Amino acid sequence: MTEPLLSAERLTRVYRLGEEAVVGVQEATFSVEAGEFAVLAGPSGSGKTTLLNLLGLLDTPDSGRLLFEGRDASSLDETSRARLRREKLGFVFQAHQLIPVLSAEENVAFALWLRELPEQQCRSRARQALRDVGLEGLESRRPGALSGGQRQRVAVARALVGEPALILADEPTASLDSATSERLLDLFVELHRSRRVAFLFSSHDPRIIGRARRRIDLIDGRIVSDVTVSPAGTIPTAAPPSGSGREGTPS
Amino acid sequence: MSGRWWKLAARNLGRHRRRTVLTGSIVVIGFIATTMTAGFVSQTFTGLRDVTVKGLGGEIRLVDPRAAGKTDDEAAAFLLESWEAVARGAAKDPAVVQAMPRLSFFGLVVKGDRSAGYLGTGTDPAMEQRASSLVEAVGEGKFLADPEADEVMLGTGLSKAIGAKAGDLVTVMTTTPDGALNAVDAPVAAILRYPIKELDDRLLYMPYRPASRLLKAEGKASSVVLLLKPGADAAEVAGRIAESLKRDGRPVVARTWLETATFYRQVKLLYVSIFFFMGLILATVVILATANTMTMSVFERTREIGTLLAIGMERGAVRALFLREGMLMALGGSVLGAILSLLLRAALNASGIELPPPPGGTHGAPLHVDFIPLAYLAGFVMMTSTLLLASWWPARRAARLDPVEAIAHV
Ligand SMILES: Nc1ncnc2c1ncn2[C@@H]1O[C@H](COP(=O)(O)OP(=O)(O)O)[C@@H](O)[C@H]1O
Ligand SMILES: [Mg+2]
Repeated sequence: MTEPLLSAERLTRVYRLGEEAVVGVQEATFSVEAGEFAVLAGPSGSGKTTLLNLLGLLDTPDSGRLLFEGRDASSLDETSRARLRREKLGFVFQAHQLIPVLSAEENVAFALWLRELPEQQCRSRARQALRDVGLEGLESRRPGALSGGQRQRVAVARALVGEPALILADEPTASLDSATSERLLDLFVELHRSRRVAFLFSSHDPRIIGRARRRIDLIDGRIVSDVTVSPAGTIPTAAPPSGSGREGTPS
Repeated sequence: MSGRWWKLAARNLGRHRRRTVLTGSIVVIGFIATTMTAGFVSQTFTGLRDVTVKGLGGEIRLVDPRAAGKTDDEAAAFLLESWEAVARGAAKDPAVVQAMPRLSFFGLVVKGDRSAGYLGTGTDPAMEQRASSLVEAVGEGKFLADPEADEVMLGTGLSKAIGAKAGDLVTVMTTTPDGALNAVDAPVAAILRYPIKELDDRLLYMPYRPASRLLKAEGKASSVVLLLKPGADAAEVAGRIAESLKRDGRPVVARTWLETATFYRQVKLLYVSIFFFMGLILATVVILATANTMTMSVFERTREIGTLLAIGMERGAVRALFLREGMLMALGGSVLGAILSLLLRAALNASGIELPPPPGGTHGAPLHVDFIPLAYLAGFVMMTSTLLLASWWPARRAARLDPVEAIAHV
């Protein structure tokens, strides 16, 4: 049995606002295996973002442990955390996450610039990643000239281009309309299949939640259920599946 | 490999074009102010130096060691025994163009029943013409010509005091170093318009020979003034000559023009202080303006910076990103500033604008701004260090952002 990619043990994060203490996440225990496709489900304020920040090594827990590939993440210094984030993880956020003065291709290449790879290699891998997310032909557009859905795809390409083990996506569809959201999920499913990259994303939208193989429910910072909905290897797909990555027009 | 980071910095500067242009123009103006002021100040110093040296009749003054450091009154009794021997010794130095005797004396000048006190100088007419600006001060009559002739030139103030005009005969009275009274009748060759009123009221010039006869001090002189070849280092030559005259058994004290020119040094100090103060104000303005722009830019890009930190950009790299923007601004501003400085300089120098005479001078000079490569280098160094300083805090702020909070920033 290989060890899990990530394993959280009684992770707790409490925000302090003066006298008041607000629970972000309480005693969260679960693990993410390589190649999983899981959703963090829960209403607004249930602790999805807090938990994803902890798992993504962006935030540190007040108590509990986080093991990353078997190593205790709390023993890592800031530099090692940054390196882990750029080499092992991919991030997709809600919105406004691209550099507006860089083209789609450069935004994706940026993730490789951080690893100081040669420009040629950064560029060709970025172009490939953009093809993989269905944005071929839009490489030289800047974010301002792309639609919301296209921008999220560029972000996915950026998360993907470094070949991470796990992509963390905090409400990636929150700023998209439902049709565009469905197509972004189609892309996730497709990439998950073809690249064997694990996905952990959060959502409060039942239709998006329904697409995941495993569903972890959060309420008031606590994990209230953790079920694998569909059998291993099968992931529910939206009907009809969309083959096109071109959704919407630039707003 | 860092090319892409510079490119990104350049594009980030292009984000708010108007803001960048505004901040950039402060840098450009700062640069131009530095080079132009340096060029102008340099010209002023050159002019002031010329005036000072011409006022003295040369770069180096040799006096008897006993007279050194004394007032003119006290020094009058301590003359160089043989000015010609001193001059011959000094003229052996290749940097010396000429060695001119000067004899200082004072007394009364009389015409009819009017008299006035004077400050007299006996000098060599030909050498004086070559080395000093005195000839330019001749208002009426002709400059002294015959080294043997009993002739005088009077300051305008002095000539008015006794009612003398060019061509009139006056009597010059003095006390010899031995204390005896002596006098000579001499025609007025010229009336001088001397720019300093106090001196204009007292000045009297006479050829050296008759002056030395009047003083009963033939062959002696208060000083020997040396004119040097252009570019010679006065201090070095002075040291050399003092040394060699000492070996000849004729010890002198050699003073350079700079040592005696208290005025020049004070003006220079004043200018340098003004220049420094101006630079300080300039640097402050540039720092405030750019730091403000940069802080705004960091604030606006908070969310973006948070994302970059989240996807694994090192904090140091984030800081470098903003410092690069500052450096680029300094570089661009300096290049543009240098081009505009050169154009402005060419335009000013071609304009034919006349400057008022420098302090102590008689003539204004056409405006000429010197080209001083060092000032361009200084401008660049100043702008770069200023902008680095200005972007330091904003860059540090950006690098210290907490990615979680920054991403949530709206
Ligand atoms: N920076 C913060 N300061 C104080 N409280 C916070 C902060 N971030 C989140 N919280 C609180 O923590 C809880 C969980 O928030 P969050 O993780 O953002 O939930 P979700 O992403 O599911 O909406 C909420 O009650 C929220 O108000
Ligand atoms: Mg959230």
